[in-house]
Amino acid sequence: MGQETTNLETNIQNEKQVPISPKPNKRPKRKRVGADIDNRMGYLFISPFIIGTVILTLFPILYSLYLSFTDFNLIGTPEWAGLDNYKKMFTGGDMLFEKSLGVTFFYAGIGVPARLVFALLVAMALNKVIEAAGVYRTLLYLPSIVGGSIGVSIMWRQLFGTDGALNSLLTMMGLPTHSWLGDPDTAIWTLIVLYGWQFGSSMLIFLAGLRNIPKTFYEASSVDGARPIQQFFKITLPMLTPVILFNTVMQTIQGFMAFTPSFIITNGGPMNSTLLYILYMYQNAFEYFKMGYGSALAWFMLLIIALFTALIFKSSEYWVHYEDN
Amino acid sequence: MKKFLLMLLSIAFVLVMAACSSGSDENASGDSKGDSSETENTGDSLESSGSSDDGGSDEGSDEQITLRMAWWGSQSRHDMTNEIIKLYEEQNPNIKIQAEFTGFSGYFEKMAAQAAGNNLPDIMQQNFGEYVNQYASQDLLEDLGPYVESGAIDLEGVSDTIIDAGKVGGTLVGIPTGTNALSATISTAALEEAGIEVPTNDWTWQDFVDIATEYKEKTGKYGARLLEPGNMFDYYVREQGYHLFNEDGTGLGYDDDQVLVDYFTMVKDMVDAEVMPGYDVISQIKGLEDELIVRGEAAMDLSNWSNQIGTLEKTAGTPIEARVLPGEGNDKGMFLKPSMLWSIPKSSEYKEEAAKFINFFTNTLEVFEIIGTDRGIPIKPEIAGELKPTLSDVDQKVFDYIEYVTDNSSPADTNFPPAASEVLSKLEDIDEMIMYGEMSPEDGATQFRQQAESILGN
Repeated sequence: MGQETTNLETNIQNEKQVPISPKPNKRPKRKRVGADIDNRMGYLFISPFIIGTVILTLFPILYSLYLSFTDFNLIGTPEWAGLDNYKKMFTGGDMLFEKSLGVTFFYAGIGVPARLVFALLVAMALNKVIEAAGVYRTLLYLPSIVGGSIGVSIMWRQLFGTDGALNSLLTMMGLPTHSWLGDPDTAIWTLIVLYGWQFGSSMLIFLAGLRNIPKTFYEASSVDGARPIQQFFKITLPMLTPVILFNTVMQTIQGFMAFTPSFIITNGGPMNSTLLYILYMYQNAFEYFKMGYGSALAWFMLLIIALFTALIFKSSEYWVHYEDN
Repeated sequence: MKKFLLMLLSIAFVLVMAACSSGSDENASGDSKGDSSETENTGDSLESSGSSDDGGSDEGSDEQITLRMAWWGSQSRHDMTNEIIKLYEEQNPNIKIQAEFTGFSGYFEKMAAQAAGNNLPDIMQQNFGEYVNQYASQDLLEDLGPYVESGAIDLEGVSDTIIDAGKVGGTLVGIPTGTNALSATISTAALEEAGIEVPTNDWTWQDFVDIATEYKEKTGKYGARLLEPGNMFDYYVREQGYHLFNEDGTGLGYDDDQVLVDYFTMVKDMVDAEVMPGYDVISQIKGLEDELIVRGEAAMDLSNWSNQIGTLEKTAGTPIEARVLPGEGNDKGMFLKPSMLWSIPKSSEYKEEAAKFINFFTNTLEVFEIIGTDRGIPIKPEIAGELKPTLSDVDQKVFDYIEYVTDNSSPADTNFPPAASEVLSKLEDIDEMIMYGEMSPEDGATQFRQQAESILGN
């Protein structure tokens, strides 16, 4: 925070030192009439978006907040239940709630760093490629485009199934096969590998970040005798920290909200070892018809995500470096 | 400043993402629509239903009416039902039927979302038990009694027990599509090859275990598919003379947990001896066509309904025989139930037309010539009688089987509470833990009682 205030102060000082317009207090008055018309036109143009957001986003959000305090079986009318849904979550009445939370933390806790590291490594390799870079970039990004889809999840199920490609490969090499999806210890790992594999979007952002690092830094340091590994830790990584922050936040949010893989590939099994939180929320809302409880689960997840995002931002003071400081 | 903007941006993202996650409650109906072929016409049907509302559903045969009809099932059922729809549309040119079909998983999720949006189809395939009970208790289903009285839906000659199965609290809310029973499906060729005698209808659980074990020893293949507790434990408690739920659906219907311990122990022993596969194998079966008995990897399978035997035999390519489930009290355990029910939601604009279609489905021989026994044995005796000689061998087998069960069964339980699906899913969780060796049968039985009572208690 200290940095920020000094930053602001210097900005203010700069403005004082260099007054651009001679009479700054007259400007807003002259502009006001025109600005109103401009604004009206502006609002008109963005009204489809605003109406859409209010009806399709804001209303469902607030409605689900209301539902989280009710007992609602989806086909009847909601009945006010006060804090019952939240009480049920936190008084140990729901073992699957705790279980699914644990599974989700494990999944995101390993999947997110794995994806980020992988994305960074690939981006660095790609940064060195000069010929046909576009082709490689597209090919590497492809899994992320199709990634969230049902199709890839079904393919994953086939790949890791008992008679799947992986086991066939193992048999060919004379190695023992394994029921990857049927074993509670390995099933979650197949989902984590899938998460890591879809590194495309973070990779592109890393790549853009890498391109922005001035070449002169590397040239100067190599004149001074820095080895590549030193360059990585002293130049690349510090210069990339804003991008790393952005990617970490985005991926953490995505990691907590993963649904499709566990829904399609394992449906939460075996023994609920892949029961991701959102899947459990879905089961409550649409399989057990407990929409009220499902909404409460959704709002708790919102709090968790907000908390983690805040923590990451708070910690960023200690590890993120901006060039302008 | 940059940092502050980034922070703002991220907060905005969190909110949008959260919107997606909580919004998905509402949006899921849109998603699930993707897996059937009905989406493009929804708008049209809404418009036409709005504009032709004043005319009601009188005999004005020029008026174009679009009925929405929803069902779940396998691909072969989708194909056959679409054929029946085409037949009906040819005979009634002013009616267009818009089909919405999915597999069973996802069907009731989709219907629930439609119910919440007051957008249920005009003709709805319902499931007997807790599902129809729930829809009826929310007053969402039309009373079909008047339609039957007026003859719009002709149920002349249908036995009362069958009609009663479509009633909830004395009100007729569903017309059974046909009758159905649990069955032990047995690959006779597999057993005979191994030199094992095919069991008869008076077999006991011990016989079942012995045959399965012997088959495993002789061939190395599974004696039977894994028993999953949903239907199977329901049958098992009935066979012992109890019921899964008590009379008013507020608790379990058996007092001694030993019943469940015995069941768990029997299955667990067979899984440990690899006479039955565990969940790791079962979880990868992708639909009826992929079952172990179809692939020739198991000799017996106790978990199929009689209307599935046709599909099983066709895909297996070897004879599949049906027996009643094992146990000395199997006449107490076995029951006939409507395979499904046809219901008309109260929200429908065209109840008369929907009733006409249900009448067509119930009373037309051609319908059953197309669909065979896939939705159960026809409930009209004269249709069943006319149909039988025209049917394939396997469908005739199903007929004979249902005839046998009719004489050797007890009434189905109609007291499944709305929370039954959650209770049964707890039972499945516990069963899975036991089969993976994470829990003892005794602990499992105690835990199931605790959890079931806590769910049913509120």
